[in-house]
Amino acid sequence: MNNRILKTVSAVLDAPEPQLIGDGFLVSNFFPAGYKLQMNPFFLLDFNAKMELASSLEPKGIGVHPHRGFETVTIAYHGAVAHQDSAGNSGVIFPGDVQWMTAAKGILHKEFFEQEFSIRGGIFQMVQLWVNMPAKDKLAEPRYQAIKNEDIGKYILEDDKGVIEVIAGIYNGIRGAASTFTDLHVYNARVNEGAEFLLTFPSHYNTGIMIIEGSLIINETTTVHENQFVHFSNNGEEIHIKATAKSVILVLSGAPIDEPVARYGPFVMNTKEEIEQALDDYNNGLFGYLEE
Amino acid sequence: MFDQFKEYLRKKVTLTDEQFDLISEGIKVKTFEKNQIILTPGEISTKTYFVAEGLIRCYSIDSKGKANVIQFAPEQWWLSERNGFFNEPSDFFIDAIEHTTALILPRNYFNDAAVHVPCLHDLNNTMLNNSIRFMQKRINMLLSATAEERYLDFIKLYPNLTLRVPQWMIASYLGITPESLSRVRKDLAHKHFKP
Repeated sequence: MNNRILKTVSAVLDAPEPQLIGDGFLVSNFFPAGYKLQMNPFFLLDFNAKMELASSLEPKGIGVHPHRGFETVTIAYHGAVAHQDSAGNSGVIFPGDVQWMTAAKGILHKEFFEQEFSIRGGIFQMVQLWVNMPAKDKLAEPRYQAIKNEDIGKYILEDDKGVIEVIAGIYNGIRGAASTFTDLHVYNARVNEGAEFLLTFPSHYNTGIMIIEGSLIINETTTVHENQFVHFSNNGEEIHIKATAKSVILVLSGAPIDEPVARYGPFVMNTKEEIEQALDDYNNGLFGYLEE
Repeated sequence: MFDQFKEYLRKKVTLTDEQFDLISEGIKVKTFEKNQIILTPGEISTKTYFVAEGLIRCYSIDSKGKANVIQFAPEQWWLSERNGFFNEPSDFFIDAIEHTTALILPRNYFNDAAVHVPCLHDLNNTMLNNSIRFMQKRINMLLSATAEERYLDFIKLYPNLTLRVPQWMIASYLGITPESLSRVRKDLAHKHFKP
């Protein structure tokens, strides 16, 4: 018998006004700027809603910038993103792929629409997450996980109702493709109308879901739509999802990191002194060099 | 915003809340949008800006159309166009690089405020002398320092501007080409980056 209690929905949030990042990405920041949400260890969620990218010979995007102290997770839903970093990693993220970049002690990075996609133009849609790291790991060596969609484990729902792609963590025995520093779960649920499934997370895990496409009813009471983010309270352990249309849902849940946070721009550390050190290290070339 | 100015002054002089209230009467607070032009050459400006939040700059445009940055003013920095003190038109532009909130102090602010808080007279002298000292060092840098020396001095003075200002603008301030600045940063990375 299932004695688990349902997690309550604490907020259903519309996408904030999008801002241009660099010269290409048009992004709504759900948190930390858009809404004040308890989603630790997920520090930031940037959502580029579906948009029509005009054809351009010169790919647009965001030029060279540093990161220290956390991981960036880029998930492409439509279109393609090319990236390069100062540690020599580069590649293209196609729809369904995930780039899990551990900046840790410091890296320079740039992200652009992929060349052919940029010339062709077309639909673009993407999420970027910033996942915080424990203090003891923030100065670890940078690491790069280029996860192709075919390498992501999938839990298949009954009656062909869809799949749950396990990007990180675990779902019904299917282990996530990404290696993480703390206990967290990231799934893409790609489901058909009428699909029903349960999500189960400890009550103290900070949990939210991003409706990338479609519409759902949560816990048989709350209807949510495309481009909304749903935040859950820290009570209960289960979430019941029923898709009322063909849907794509990004699920985030993780054990909070109980440490102070000091952030300045693309540096997420624990103290003001560490931020000053990060600035000094960045200015003195310790993050490497990357041509614009 | 006034709290930030009070905190700034209290690092340098002893000041009660009542004294601060007296001396802050003539001060206005203004917000500037990103890229908003605050002053153009030819205007007479008698104002001094104290940046509470954001970033403004003072610059000229030369005959080739190139912007030459005289000074940046991020948080807790001052910026004032000095021809205005003599009622002469400005040689320079001032604009906001970021959305900025600044306190606007009128001409002779410190002399007037010193009537209520006498030690502000000495503070003003110290600040003016510091400004002149800073300008001397800057002239010397521009005349004689290598590109790397200029850059290393810049990052000590303005540690976070490399994240906020495009590279060409930093190069303009340093009096070097963007290519030279890029080369300096590349050389530093080769020296210090261990992949």
